[in-house]
Amino acid sequence: MKKEDSPDEGSQDILATWMKSTGDIWGNMLHAWSDMGSFLNTPQKSPNSEAESSKRATLDAAQKSFQLFSKLLLNPNVMESLIKGAGALPDIMVKFEQSSLNSFLQLQQKWLQRANSLGKSTEAFKFEDLDENAFRAWADVYEQEFQKFFNIPQLGLTRFHQEKVNRALDKYTIFQTTFGEFLRLLYLPISHSLTALQDRMGQMVEEEELPEDAKIYYQMWIKILEGHYMTLFQSPEYIQTLGKTLQSMSEFTMARNEVLEDMLSALPIPKQKDLDDLYHELYILKKRMKMLEKKAEE
Amino acid sequence: MTQPKIPVDLILSKLAEEAEKVQERAQKASDVLLEPLDTQIAATPYEVVYQDDRVKLKHYLPITATKLKTPLLVVYALINRETMLDLQPGRSVVETFLAHGIDLYMIDWGYPTGKDKFLGFDDHINGYMDTMVDFIRKKHNLEKINLMGICMGGTFCVIYSALHSEKVKNLITTVTPTNFDTDKGLLHVWMQGLDPDLLVDTYGNISGDVMNFGFLLLNPARLMLDKYVGFFEHMENKSFVENFVRMEKWIFDSPDLPGEVFRKFIKDCYQKNLLIQNKLEVGGRRVDLKKISMPLINFYGKYDHLVPPEACELLTQKVGTQDATDVRLDTGHIGIYVSSKCQKEFAPKIASWLMERDEPKRKQSKRRAPARKPAARKRARRK
Repeated sequence: MKKEDSPDEGSQDILATWMKSTGDIWGNMLHAWSDMGSFLNTPQKSPNSEAESSKRATLDAAQKSFQLFSKLLLNPNVMESLIKGAGALPDIMVKFEQSSLNSFLQLQQKWLQRANSLGKSTEAFKFEDLDENAFRAWADVYEQEFQKFFNIPQLGLTRFHQEKVNRALDKYTIFQTTFGEFLRLLYLPISHSLTALQDRMGQMVEEEELPEDAKIYYQMWIKILEGHYMTLFQSPEYIQTLGKTLQSMSEFTMARNEVLEDMLSALPIPKQKDLDDLYHELYILKKRMKMLEKKAEE
Repeated sequence: MTQPKIPVDLILSKLAEEAEKVQERAQKASDVLLEPLDTQIAATPYEVVYQDDRVKLKHYLPITATKLKTPLLVVYALINRETMLDLQPGRSVVETFLAHGIDLYMIDWGYPTGKDKFLGFDDHINGYMDTMVDFIRKKHNLEKINLMGICMGGTFCVIYSALHSEKVKNLITTVTPTNFDTDKGLLHVWMQGLDPDLLVDTYGNISGDVMNFGFLLLNPARLMLDKYVGFFEHMENKSFVENFVRMEKWIFDSPDLPGEVFRKFIKDCYQKNLLIQNKLEVGGRRVDLKKISMPLINFYGKYDHLVPPEACELLTQKVGTQDATDVRLDTGHIGIYVSSKCQKEFAPKIASWLMERDEPKRKQSKRRAPARKPAARKRARRK
């Protein structure tokens, strides 16, 4: 009884034939390219030149590798293992996709939690008085939810530089927030004084004492404005905001300077620290010299 | 119910009238602003007789015979410039002193740069000031000279006189903060919440423009708005424009403040108030106000918003001398030196006070010995 070929064996024969013919075709092609290259280069260069022989050797090696690889594939055991592996590929892909999807979902969940906590952070202010509390609310949200991203530990050779850049960005955001709050406070007397002026004018209308000269309205407003500023400037809120603004400005400037100094260190330009060291040495030397001069005079 | 009457017609006609005036004023103003203006400040002739680093000693050329034997050294603050004392002819403290026969010297602190950031109280008071005082003493062959301080320069003079009382004959302090424990002036309030270490460590010297912005913030309605509305209303007046520009030139000519001076001034003076308590240390020596044994006259402004009377008036009670006088003028921080009213009662008063104390042998024998009780101290209040 004639042994029936299994479907696997049949497919192996077809594959082996295809591999062999492909190997022959690519081998011939490589030879043809190599010969053509030699032909084209003949007038200018000797075929025995070092470059030419190196190129030929590379092509020969590539051809041999391809042929060996083809032969290896013709081995039924290798082919069987390859086909089995190909069968397992969809499983691996599914696992990989599953793992990625899970990670993404977890990340998304964390983000949702974070977004949820944004609401908690702002709950105290409720954004009802958006004008007055927006800066403080944003400062709170930033400090609780976003600032930590700038504090993620940096890795590798450039970690210190990355940390400095992150610090500068962090300090810049804080400075912008406090400065915004400071400007809002400075604007308050203007809006309040205009309201007060309107009230005063309403009262004057009632009393039929409305002045005819526009300058009087301006003088009234300036006086009210001055009073509002004086009240504001003595308030603990203003003093606290002023202190915070100056502090955040200094901290941002310091962080920015550190980044700039890093950049400057790659250039042939002295850094502020170099100058400061020099100034300090100069200061000490001058002081000593003056002291000695005074002693010599005495 | 009757509707209140609003004179809309009158208001509108006034506005139209005003608009016409503005147009006319703008036309005249353009003529004034485009023609040459005399806005020079510090025009009184002087020569630089000594220089130490950036710090110069100016000696003003006399315009009349010198009537006082002892020369006067004026020490301005390190904030803004000493040109304020000589803003314009006819309104110049320098000119008045010279007219009264005072031999006048003045310290010009110059413009501190990065290399000056380490210079502190000690370097300015026991260094530059002492060198200049010694120079004048040597030049005039005198043991003592007269010393006058303005604002922070006054604080320096108080410290100097306590540490070098043997070199100071008479001391004049003007708008000089010595007691910083008060909440009357906004600066005193604001400085309590400041972190001078952070500012100095970050910026080194403190920018003059930043300090000026701080001063403008003390009264933004008047200093940043109303002042320029006033200028707009009078800009067809050449003399007004010239004076206004002179003042602007002075105000915004702001040298940076050496970082270490700022640090000590804020920490030890504004925040700890050490000077008036005799606890301040400069150059390793404690500043004892009781060692101020020379005659002292202390001027301050009733409406001073930078250095309020409360910051100035304690000094005369804390010094060692019995010849201590307070003079309170009805003006502000700058008005003492530049207002036309004070031109008559400020500089001439100093000249006469110095004159009284200039010839000790002749005058002291005629003058009664000063009272020893603090209550007997003079306290002149000008209204």
